[in-house]
Amino acid sequence: MSSNSGVHWQKHPALAWREIDEATVIISPNESVMHELNDTGSFLWQNIDGHRSAADLAALLADNYEVTPDVALTDTLSLLEEMASKKLLVPVAGGGESR
Amino acid sequence: MTSTVATRPTPVMDRLISRTVQNRRPLSVHFDLTYRCNERCVHCYLDHDDHGELTTAECITVMEDLARAGALFLTFSGGEIFLRPDLYEILAAARRLHFDISLKTNALLVTRDRVARLREFGVRRVQISVYSDVPEVHDAITKVAGSLQRTLAAIPLLLEQGLQVKLACPLMQENLLAYRGVMTLAEKLGIPYVLDLTITPMMDGSGGPLAHRASVSSLLPVLQDPALHGCKPQPGAGVDSAVESSLTSLGSAVSSGIESSAYEDLPCSAGHNSCYISPYGDVFPCVQLPQAAGNLRRERFSDIWYHAPQLERLRAIRESHLPVCSRCEIRSYCERCPGLALMEGGDLLGAYERACELAEQKARVAGIFEPVSALHKERQAASSHATSGNEFASLAGDSSPN
Repeated sequence: MSSNSGVHWQKHPALAWREIDEATVIISPNESVMHELNDTGSFLWQNIDGHRSAADLAALLADNYEVTPDVALTDTLSLLEEMASKKLLVPVAGGGESR
Repeated sequence: MTSTVATRPTPVMDRLISRTVQNRRPLSVHFDLTYRCNERCVHCYLDHDDHGELTTAECITVMEDLARAGALFLTFSGGEIFLRPDLYEILAAARRLHFDISLKTNALLVTRDRVARLREFGVRRVQISVYSDVPEVHDAITKVAGSLQRTLAAIPLLLEQGLQVKLACPLMQENLLAYRGVMTLAEKLGIPYVLDLTITPMMDGSGGPLAHRASVSSLLPVLQDPALHGCKPQPGAGVDSAVESSLTSLGSAVSSGIESSAYEDLPCSAGHNSCYISPYGDVFPCVQLPQAAGNLRRERFSDIWYHAPQLERLRAIRESHLPVCSRCEIRSYCERCPGLALMEGGDLLGAYERACELAEQKARVAGIFEPVSALHKERQAASSHATSGNEFASLAGDSSPN
């Protein structure tokens, strides 16, 4: 398991976002960038709450989509990294932030 | 709102517009929190008395319903929003509900501390009404001495906090020649602007503000001005498989003049993926289409949005079905507004004089030889028919036996 799989993430508090018909649209107010998440991205986004680690999210993904745990973890880590790089997510020190 | 600037949507925005139009989601909501105002603009269409504004709790309930229904873009306007003492409570609730928040204000009450709070509550964009860069012209329209100076003083405060600022300049007789000054002002500040040629009747249908409307012929210099490019282009952004991102000029699809193929054959977005809510809880398809579909003190938003017969009728309208306008040869130059068609022409489906005159003027500017709208062709034909009928009657009279 990756060393990043235990990191807890939360949504950046400044974002505007809405799930509309199974796709999630996110707006970064500082840069006025609009992001769109696909179905699995939306699923993960809905479950990112400051409590769940990447490993927890990957397990949820594997339970709900037809992917193996290994693939789910790889995909989850990749997406989390990407969203963090776009400042959509911020890490929670030790987890436990409110949803 | 009619603007001289149309913004091309990003691919993400275009898909969002398509999806929300197709599935009837209220993507963009214009919510007037009050009609009270600290200016008395000569062209204003509002009654500024308070007839029972929604309470703070009612506003929050409305926003919760909007969020559940899929609304993302929320524009708070008025009247002057800073006259609501509970503005920050409302903004805090909007932030909790993850709306993309825009404000429209005259900025007279904006201070550094207030801007900091706007920033805290995630307000992204602020549109400010500026009628001229000349104080005497601006202040004569607002009827508040010193208002331009105070309004302009607010802009750096907003920009310092990273908020996006846009100037909105409705053009009327009083400031028609001032638009160049507003453009220059916006360029100096490095912010976008929009010139608006629309002056509407009062919301009760009375025509007072129309006395200030500039004639179509007097708008010719504006229509001919090659310098009118409006919003500055923004740099592009990468697109990848998992998260597609686009820099975009976001906002109300109607009021920001965003064009999308999703609106093809629709008169506009009103009632399809956008609506307007008055300070009293009335839900309208648009602020310029004041036919209440329901009231949020009596019904939930989703019940009104999905079931009100007024909205169903509006959604059934297609441009290609409009009895007169669908046959118009200069339709592509026209910015027909269904609300103004109703208020000025008495028919939601009809043509109205102002739009036809403006379309003809724009077509003329574009080089079309003697453009005539379908409405005016009909009138010419009717007049010609009446004339020939009279001639016939006259001839018949002449030939009648003595």
